Amino acid sequence: MTLLAELALVVVAAITVAVSVAMLPEAVAWRNRRAPAPPAARPEQLVRLESLVTMAGASALRAHAYLRPLLVEITSRRLAARGQTLERIPEAVAKDLLGAPLWELVRPDRQFPEDRHRRGVPRQDLAAMVEALERL
Amino acid sequence: MSGSLSPRVPGLLALAGVAVIAGLAGGRPELAVLATPFLVFVGVGLVMANEPDLAVELSLERDRMLEGDQTRVTVTLHNNSVAGVEVELGVVRTPKLALEPAGAVAVALGAGSEITVEFRAIPLRWGAHAVGPVVVQARDPLGIATWSRRLGARLTLRVFPREQRLRELVAPLRTQPSLGSHAARSRGEGIEFADIRPFATGDRARQVNWRVTARRGALHVTERHPEHSSDVVVLLDTFAEARDGASGTLDAAVRAAASLTRAHLARRDRVALVDFGGTVHWLEPAFGATQLYRIVDALLASEIAFSYAWRDVESIPRRVLPPQALILAITPLLEERSIRLITDLRMRGADVTVIEVSPLAHTLPGPTASDVLAYRLWRLEREAKRARLRALGVAVALWEEDATLGPAVEGVNAFRRSARHATRV
Repeated sequence: MTLLAELALVVVAAITVAVSVAMLPEAVAWRNRRAPAPPAARPEQLVRLESLVTMAGASALRAHAYLRPLLVEITSRRLAARGQTLERIPEAVAKDLLGAPLWELVRPDRQFPEDRHRRGVPRQDLAAMVEALERL
Repeated sequence: MSGSLSPRVPGLLALAGVAVIAGLAGGRPELAVLATPFLVFVGVGLVMANEPDLAVELSLERDRMLEGDQTRVTVTLHNNSVAGVEVELGVVRTPKLALEPAGAVAVALGAGSEITVEFRAIPLRWGAHAVGPVVVQARDPLGIATWSRRLGARLTLRVFPREQRLRELVAPLRTQPSLGSHAARSRGEGIEFADIRPFATGDRARQVNWRVTARRGALHVTERHPEHSSDVVVLLDTFAEARDGASGTLDAAVRAAASLTRAHLARRDRVALVDFGGTVHWLEPAFGATQLYRIVDALLASEIAFSYAWRDVESIPRRVLPPQALILAITPLLEERSIRLITDLRMRGADVTVIEVSPLAHTLPGPTASDVLAYRLWRLEREAKRARLRALGVAVALWEEDATLGPAVEGVNAFRRSARHATRV
């Protein structure tokens, strides 16, 4: 009886070995190393503008210090194509061409904002300014 | 070859250990018997595990090719050991080179035999791609031990950018006195008609225009523009690029640079290359086919080198920028340092033309409304930059990557014919 029990144990052990070997991780598990796709490079200029649009809405100081120079540059170049300059364009014509909000922001005699913590240029207003520039 | 035990071995030993400890703790020798097969398996496996003697030969069907072509990579594996072995092999390569089949290939090798495995190499873009060595992982028949090693040589597959044929080239403002194919502004011996004037002492008889002479009753001669060569500097901007996964503006810029270089050298111009970015590399101007291969080889090594270091015109040796040279700047206009360099060169009187590789195709607006607004603003800002350069007398051709380069060059020439040179920004 004891011998039979031991034989049974050996058989069980053999089966256990077979199952264990089959279930254990593959010895030569080859990690299929595909070359990773190179990361997308987003232009720094665009990333800077994305944060500028958000920043300009938050504070009048930032709108004046960062957004205004950019809009002045764009407006000047687009007006130059029509033979006009920001310095010499009559205010009525400028308001007609650019719209009042954009003109107020880019006009050469614009003063530094007195209340720096006032809200800047809301997104809707900025969208209207961009549209005016695209039309120009 | 570095050898290691399979992850199976600790598992098997742990099972055996549990059985032995349980047998000792419970005073049941039967349980200890359970451990025997595990130990026997590991023992037999270790005795049978002999490091295989493998050798690999790696070869390329061709080592130079054009973008878009494919080639075959052949791996021949020799098993010099007395026992058979199971092997998985994979070829190490640069990320811009795809292999088919991808990943590893499993093969079984008998004693003293060899096997050949073929991969198809598909370059995803131009460049000097490294192929090899081959990573070989072998294991013994019971899977107890594994050996891993890199075998074979490291080969280089040079993939040249696919060039465009250009009918028209940017006409230089100034030419050099050596023979070429650009009609010079000066007058002399040549083919292209310049003017008719009265005969003067020293004029040759062959210059006499007999029809005009007969009509006007006095000797008149025909003046012609001589055909001269020019110096061309290809300025490649490698400061920044826009990239969307597989392709980017640098890929297109290198193709444009190679096309322009070939076309100008074919017209007997002297061509120099300046790779202007985080690091500055250059090739001095020279003529001929050798220069073409030098420049194309240098272009293959082009990459975006990020750097905060300020670079300006002083970073480029003067001998690379000959006076009166035509400078062709190929740039995505993404970096202020490059724009400043172009402005500086123009303000010093250089004849500069910009081929702008548009980054718009590789850049989409972000998901929010603010991002879309920023994207529109970015396009306007780019147009303003272009206008700033044009106001200086720099011709800017906007080149979309999918389009041919020819219309861009024609646009540049049209601008240069009509542009007046600005004297201030």
